Amino acid sequence: MLSWWKRTPLAWLNLTHDRRKFATSMAGVGFAVLLMFLFTGFQNALYDSQVQLINRLNADIIIINRLKNNMFVPAAFARRRLYQAQALAGVQAAYPLYMSDVRWRNPVTRKTRPVRVLAFNLADPVLPLPGVTAHLEALKFPNTALIDTRARAEVGPREAGIQSELADRAIEIVGTFRLGTDFAAGNGNLIMSDQNFLRYFANRGPEEDERSFSTVDIGLVQVQPGVDVDEMVQALSAFLPNDVKVMRRLGPGNSFEAQERDYWRESTNIAFVFSLLTVMSFFVGIILVYQILYTDVADHWKEYATLKAMGYSNRFLLTVVMQEALILSVVGFIPGILVSRLLYTAASNAIGLVFLMTPARITHMYLAAFAMCLISGAIAVRKVQSTDPAEVFS
Amino acid sequence: MATSQSSGSSPVTPTTSAVQIQNLHYSFGSGDLTKQVLFDINLTLPRGQIVIMTGPSGSGKTTLLTLIGALRTVHAGSLQVLGQEVVGLSRRKLVSVRRNIGFIFQAHNLFESLTAAQNVEMAVELKGQFGTKRSQAVEILDKLGLSDRVDYKPGSLSGGQKQRVAIARALVNHPLLILADEPTAALDKKSGRDVVTLMQKLAKEENHTILMVTHDNRILDVADRIINLVDGRLESDENLDTFVSTHDPKSLDRRMFIM
Repeated sequence: MLSWWKRTPLAWLNLTHDRRKFATSMAGVGFAVLLMFLFTGFQNALYDSQVQLINRLNADIIIINRLKNNMFVPAAFARRRLYQAQALAGVQAAYPLYMSDVRWRNPVTRKTRPVRVLAFNLADPVLPLPGVTAHLEALKFPNTALIDTRARAEVGPREAGIQSELADRAIEIVGTFRLGTDFAAGNGNLIMSDQNFLRYFANRGPEEDERSFSTVDIGLVQVQPGVDVDEMVQALSAFLPNDVKVMRRLGPGNSFEAQERDYWRESTNIAFVFSLLTVMSFFVGIILVYQILYTDVADHWKEYATLKAMGYSNRFLLTVVMQEALILSVVGFIPGILVSRLLYTAASNAIGLVFLMTPARITHMYLAAFAMCLISGAIAVRKVQSTDPAEVFS
Repeated sequence: MATSQSSGSSPVTPTTSAVQIQNLHYSFGSGDLTKQVLFDINLTLPRGQIVIMTGPSGSGKTTLLTLIGALRTVHAGSLQVLGQEVVGLSRRKLVSVRRNIGFIFQAHNLFESLTAAQNVEMAVELKGQFGTKRSQAVEILDKLGLSDRVDYKPGSLSGGQKQRVAIARALVNHPLLILADEPTAALDKKSGRDVVTLMQKLAKEENHTILMVTHDNRILDVADRIINLVDGRLESDENLDTFVSTHDPKSLDRRMFIM
């Protein structure tokens, strides 16, 4: 069965002959692709959102408490570990980042919502987001903070000039930045100076965590130019006591980002739920494509039987059906991915999670769509195989 | 004595007849449900003959046609189509026998999605002649009076035109044997007549053998020979013209036995 390009493109012509039917088929496959994109999109968004903050931190190496196996764990470590790290040759700088969850009052509804406060010495380039660097001066005033414009709507207006309460103390929002929410961030993130952090969290009264500069939530280490990060991780791990864990910030293997992703992937049901939904959409797609192909064969069985009578082999007809399946996978994928893009943007704006469509994810999704159409084709061809050319005479 | 001249791309065959049937029996089903539909058929169709097969419905005409067309596997008797013994052939080998036969059905069975030319080209592609498929299709459509309908889809052709496209598809590869099942049933009197006359003309030009099942009395006159099948048995075999009388099928039969 060589020289397909010289042959009459029967598969393509059969599929596209009836424009309305073709549009419906395209929409059907596109819908299945869209469902798969949505469910994997949500799954990935939940994982990707967990590492948004980690992705923005200005560090090569992260030092955390050994017990902190995900961002939810509030375990902090002694700040002197950072000074020890700074003593090591090859370390350029080490900065502390303080985090705490606390009640925020929505200035409009007066309801309290938990938010996460990120604090650091304003002289340290811990989180060099555009909104943060622009408001460093304003943050130096007491009882001031920045609010994330991508915080959830529950926190109220996300803009400069808001006056409200944080941990039952007055606070003024002096600017905004753009980060996004995750599970550990509650309804959103605030950023303030370490001095203000002490104002809010140092003397919180009985039964509440009191914070000071003696403990740090995340230690950020920058290595000197030309120093190998992995070797530095090794050196720091060997040098620092065992109460802290040293790892690269990003990348696969032993990194802060990978630890966070692995935690959510392995310790939660997210993967199971969304994988189940994705598999369901996959099967819906198989049924849809099967319907399309089966209808084509059933509607044209006399023509196909005639081809068989003329001397076309079963294999030829199988190839035609499989070509139709392949064409459907391509023409259905295109509207599917375009609509998914729109929905990703809409969903991302609505809930503040990040929806990423990376080339690898698009490739995977196309392969899934291809497999979907291939399986449907394989089921539908049995109808062609059973077509008896002798039945055309009657 | 004009014996068969093989026309065009026909395979070289030792026999002079297009179809040779001896003691053919055929039954549907198996076990207790076996129903025999053909009994001891002996029939020889010489090259270039136009044979019309008539008979009441249920007499086995269509079954015989599909057997000759290598569309079913046969086990008993002998059935030679274009010099190839069909009895006992596997399904795969039957497919290659069919490629030398032109089929014309009651319905045109054209792909609505393909133009007239493309429908015909599907047949040419079986022969692997991709380079000339367009010119071959146009040529045969032209012969059938459809030169101005080459790029029309069946949806915009009349019933007679569609049937002529179907005939073009059956004839484009110059098959030595053409099997037609009620080719005029779906046509009005005039188009039916035109279609049959065209078939006759092309058959005579290229020495094709045509076996046609029909109930249409208006077209019986194109036949060189009319055979009548009743209850699975050949009842009569008449109206032989001079062509057949000079090629006494009985003597051919005897020679076949000796071989």
